Amino acid sequence: MIPIGHFLILSAMLFAVGAAGVIISRNLLIMLMSIELMLNAANLAIIAFSRMNNIVDGHVFVFIVFAVAAAEAAVGLAIIIMIFRNRESINADNFSLLKR
Amino acid sequence: MEQPLYLIPLFPLIGFLLNGLLLGRLGKKTISFIACTSVGLSFLFGLKFFFDLLSLPDTARIIENVFFTWIPAGQFHVNVAFLLDPLSAVMVLVVSGVSFIIHIYSIGYMHDDAGYGRYFTYLNLFVFSMLMLVLADNYLLMFVGWEGVGLCSYLLIGFWFEKKSASDAGKKAFIVNRIGDFGFLLGMFIIFWQTGSLDFKTALDPAVAHSVFAVGGGMITAATLLMFLGATGKSAQIPLYVWLPDAMEGPTPVSALIHAATMVTAGVYMIARSNVLYMMAPATMAVVAIVGVATAIFAGSIALAQNDIKRVLAYSTVSQLGYMFTACGVAAFSAGIFHLMTHAFFKALLFLGSGSVIHAMAGQQDMRYMGGLKKRMPITFWTFLIATLAITGIPGLSGFFSKDEILWKSFSSDYGSIWIWLIGLITAGMTAFYMFRLVFLTFYGEERMDSHTREHLHESPKVMTVPLSILAVLSVIGGYVGIPHILGGDNRFEKFLEPVMKGVHHSVEGEHALASAAHNGSTELILMVGSVVLVAVFIYLAYHFYIKNIAAAGKLRQRFSGLHKIIYGKYFVDELYNAVIVQPLVVGSKFLWKIFDVLIIDGFINGMAVIIGDMSTGLRPAQSGILRTYTTIFLVGVIVILGIVLIFG
Amino acid sequence: MPDYNLRLIIPEIFLFLWALFIIAFDLGTKRKNPKLIGYLTMGGIAATAVLLYLYHGGISFNNMFKSDPLALFFKVIFLGSAFMAVGSSFDIIAQKIKNHRGEFFGLVLFSTVGMMFLASAGELISLYIGLELTTIPLFILAAYYKDDRISVEAGLKYLVIGAFSSAILLYGLSLLYGLSGTTDIVMMKINLALLYLNTNGIGWALLMAIVMVLAGIGFKLALVPFHMWAPDVYQGAPTPITALLSVGSKAAGVVAFMRIFIDGLYGFADAVMFPLDWGNIVAVLAAAAMILGNISALRQKNIKRMLAYSSIAQIGYVMVGMVAVSELGVGSVGYYMFIYLFANMGAFAVATIFNDNTGSDSIASYAGLSKSSPMISAFMAIFLLSLAGIPPLAGFAAKFFVFAAGIQAGYTWLVILALLTAVVSLYYYANVIKMMYFAPDNPTIKLNTPLSANIVLIIGVAGLIIFGVYPEPILNFALDTARVFGF
Repeated sequence: MIPIGHFLILSAMLFAVGAAGVIISRNLLIMLMSIELMLNAANLAIIAFSRMNNIVDGHVFVFIVFAVAAAEAAVGLAIIIMIFRNRESINADNFSLLKR
Repeated sequence: MEQPLYLIPLFPLIGFLLNGLLLGRLGKKTISFIACTSVGLSFLFGLKFFFDLLSLPDTARIIENVFFTWIPAGQFHVNVAFLLDPLSAVMVLVVSGVSFIIHIYSIGYMHDDAGYGRYFTYLNLFVFSMLMLVLADNYLLMFVGWEGVGLCSYLLIGFWFEKKSASDAGKKAFIVNRIGDFGFLLGMFIIFWQTGSLDFKTALDPAVAHSVFAVGGGMITAATLLMFLGATGKSAQIPLYVWLPDAMEGPTPVSALIHAATMVTAGVYMIARSNVLYMMAPATMAVVAIVGVATAIFAGSIALAQNDIKRVLAYSTVSQLGYMFTACGVAAFSAGIFHLMTHAFFKALLFLGSGSVIHAMAGQQDMRYMGGLKKRMPITFWTFLIATLAITGIPGLSGFFSKDEILWKSFSSDYGSIWIWLIGLITAGMTAFYMFRLVFLTFYGEERMDSHTREHLHESPKVMTVPLSILAVLSVIGGYVGIPHILGGDNRFEKFLEPVMKGVHHSVEGEHALASAAHNGSTELILMVGSVVLVAVFIYLAYHFYIKNIAAAGKLRQRFSGLHKIIYGKYFVDELYNAVIVQPLVVGSKFLWKIFDVLIIDGFINGMAVIIGDMSTGLRPAQSGILRTYTTIFLVGVIVILGIVLIFG
Repeated sequence: MPDYNLRLIIPEIFLFLWALFIIAFDLGTKRKNPKLIGYLTMGGIAATAVLLYLYHGGISFNNMFKSDPLALFFKVIFLGSAFMAVGSSFDIIAQKIKNHRGEFFGLVLFSTVGMMFLASAGELISLYIGLELTTIPLFILAAYYKDDRISVEAGLKYLVIGAFSSAILLYGLSLLYGLSGTTDIVMMKINLALLYLNTNGIGWALLMAIVMVLAGIGFKLALVPFHMWAPDVYQGAPTPITALLSVGSKAAGVVAFMRIFIDGLYGFADAVMFPLDWGNIVAVLAAAAMILGNISALRQKNIKRMLAYSSIAQIGYVMVGMVAVSELGVGSVGYYMFIYLFANMGAFAVATIFNDNTGSDSIASYAGLSKSSPMISAFMAIFLLSLAGIPPLAGFAAKFFVFAAGIQAGYTWLVILALLTAVVSLYYYANVIKMMYFAPDNPTIKLNTPLSANIVLIIGVAGLIIFGVYPEPILNFALDTARVFGF
């Protein structure tokens, strides 16, 4: 059996990659995907813990996170489409009408 | 004893609601009727309860009225409850009485103003809040009134907001007061924290106070000092006095009511009320006395060179408030309240008189363009003169008794010192000088106004002169409730307040014994005579420079070309006087005003605003509007907090 | 023994169905009746409040859903903020949103249902669902003016930072779950304490989990340094939505904070205190919020942005009560949020009305408003003075309680700082009042207000005055919520 540590390290790495992606990327779509990556990192951790503790709550949790992530992605894409219509750009650095 | 005390503040509240909700729908007569009647009724009820109070035996003079429980949270039991003891009775009568007179006066003064209804609405709200302040039986309710009067003051200073200076002054007053309120609140929290109560009955019970605070301990000193900070804000003492001179931008009756007679004395009231706590903190007492006397002489010296009639009176108010704090600082709380009362009469009269003058002069406030008004406005002149005599401390008028009491106590009290007395004495001389300078410049001499104004000079209508006359009578007789022992009286005022001053150990009997001792008696008499003589000298000096010398100077100019210059060498004496006494005074006074007042204190407060504003600007770049900056700051925030927790956690 | 007491979630089920009904009704009537659907929405919220009164008190679904006094208290706040937000958006619906009017109200209701679930959450999964159900409709609502670049930008910023923070929160929750082996918050506390006793120390993983959860909830609260989105989103979103964000969604954050940090990560019933003193961390963040919020608000020229910074500062004051972690602390926080509901919803309602009539949000354009609309100016003055904490308005009592709780718990420095920054805050609140009352005449349009907005304003003013003078009922109710945590 693969020890729990391996899962956790992988999940931490995925999370770090996702977080870095959100910060570094200028492209809104990549930002959104990076956030999905972070959510999935958390999912992986939850599943690993669930198996470690031998309780199934974690599985339920993960299914629900899937649903939430899907909703977030749907709303996110819709908003990105709207902003693309308005501004003809999906470069996050271009949107700074609201400041100070 | 339980009585429906809530009736006292109720009527002004009704007046406020009626006038406020029906604003713009009522005629002027109705508005003033509602406003004046409501305050008159609360004065009458105040009087009724005052006599109820008198009918009780000395030691049981307390009327209570629990209206309802305001905050019921377990240990936090605060009532909306009123308390009438000798101290609050004096305050209620002064507040409602003077307010009533000024309401009447305002009918005439504000008659042509567009904001007539608004004015009376605010004024009624003010009276309501002030009555809440003095009738409250706990600090929290007192604070409600405290903030309420501040708000009204703000609204009324900025009443003529078309003038930018007026709306700025209003805002300044509000903000400076908030600095004081910060102190008050914090002091209140400490008292609550330590004694577990905000009720005067518990928190100010000597037994309770002594059980939780050590005399002279850090906690009590901190609490009293913080509350004193609150008092300096409301009562315009160094360093927070700056708002009061600017507050003169409001209508003159407002200056009379709020910025002379009532609201600004709230700080004195609060300290006198908390005398039990203050007496346990000798260090605070010293601070109060020093700040008080410093403010007295400082503001008095600024008043010497002001040309705006209301500004002279404003600085004079600051100076007189300084006297009251001096009294509190030397443990003569009753003397402070005594002066508070007499000051309310004569200072209200002075302001109303100046209002009458300004009214006649069509808004002119600069004394250099007045003069000779004595004949034109006899009632205003005579009442004004009476008030001036009272404030300078001419024997027989109210100001003499109260001021002399303070001077004597600052000399003789365990908390006093000869220096405090000396500074107080010099301030009394200054007071005499600037007040008579004001009288001479305004009412005597040649008429320096332009011809258009001169044609329209007129005595004010009855609705304004009758209040003046009533106040003049009060300014004369107000002092006779507290004739000192040395003059054959028995200081009934102090005796009356005695039950409230639980913190002051020595009783009136002891005081009596002290006063009747031959040595002290003669000292007191000598000091009294001395101060009267000094005042007389300064009045003469004012006369010399502002009546005699003006004429003389004119003659001097005439003969300047002639050969008789040396024969009239006595003018050199005048010049010498001028050079040695008057010019340094004027220059010093201007210096203090310009450098200290305008530059340092004002500058400090404005500077704080600028610094905070700069900080505000400094924070702006982070809010760049760029999404990635935000996410980065978010993540960095997480990492930094995590780092700190891992290192220190 | 599993218990599925469906009675307890009748209010939530009803509100959810009502939201669907509103959307369907709007479609069915061919979107002809914006006013009617508005009133229907308000009626639905009122009906939910009645149902809440009828069906509350108990625990259902194995601790997943707790209908305790805390949940009840905050649900009242959520329903109140939704009611007032809907009531003040009638003109916006009529003027600016031509399509999808039913969805606007529907989404507000969905978000409210989310807040209600969140308040009742007894374990991590339902807490996470509630949080997301609250937030996701708000993403859409913030961007609701589809053709307005500012609104869409606000929606985008809210979405990205919201999703980002939710991912961080989820990671924190996953660690908590892993360490404690349960999703039940009370069980979690016990297991974590056992873990602490067994390993004789607090592991870095737990610290990391706590900080990440703090960040996730800090986003909802707009707590510094997780506040950056707030000014931009508040400014860009439709004003009633801004109001909902600043009150309802923030109160949801407060209750989530209480559930996790006080119930789950604090000492249990007189026994071992939880080893990590998160109080100090939160106190520092609160101090930063008060300083930054108040000082930044000084320079603002846009009223919504000014109120955004003000609400950042206000959450700092709320946290003073929170870190006290006592009966008075919890009670004062509840009371503060309740009063904040009236003051802030009221202020935003005035901003909405003003914008509907003049098209402007700038503070300078409020000049002389007291001449043309004396009533609304007076109301606005009352809202702002209450936010500034001037007695006898309820905002004073609220501040007083949280500060007293702070002093009681020994956070004297924090209270001193809070009082000082409150002095600063007066400056910008007074500035608006100065504009309305003391600015030279500026013939502004007389403001027309729809009936519903008048109802909102009157509720706000009445709440501030009545509960300022007579806070007993609300305060007792709020102190009652502290029983949930065993204080």
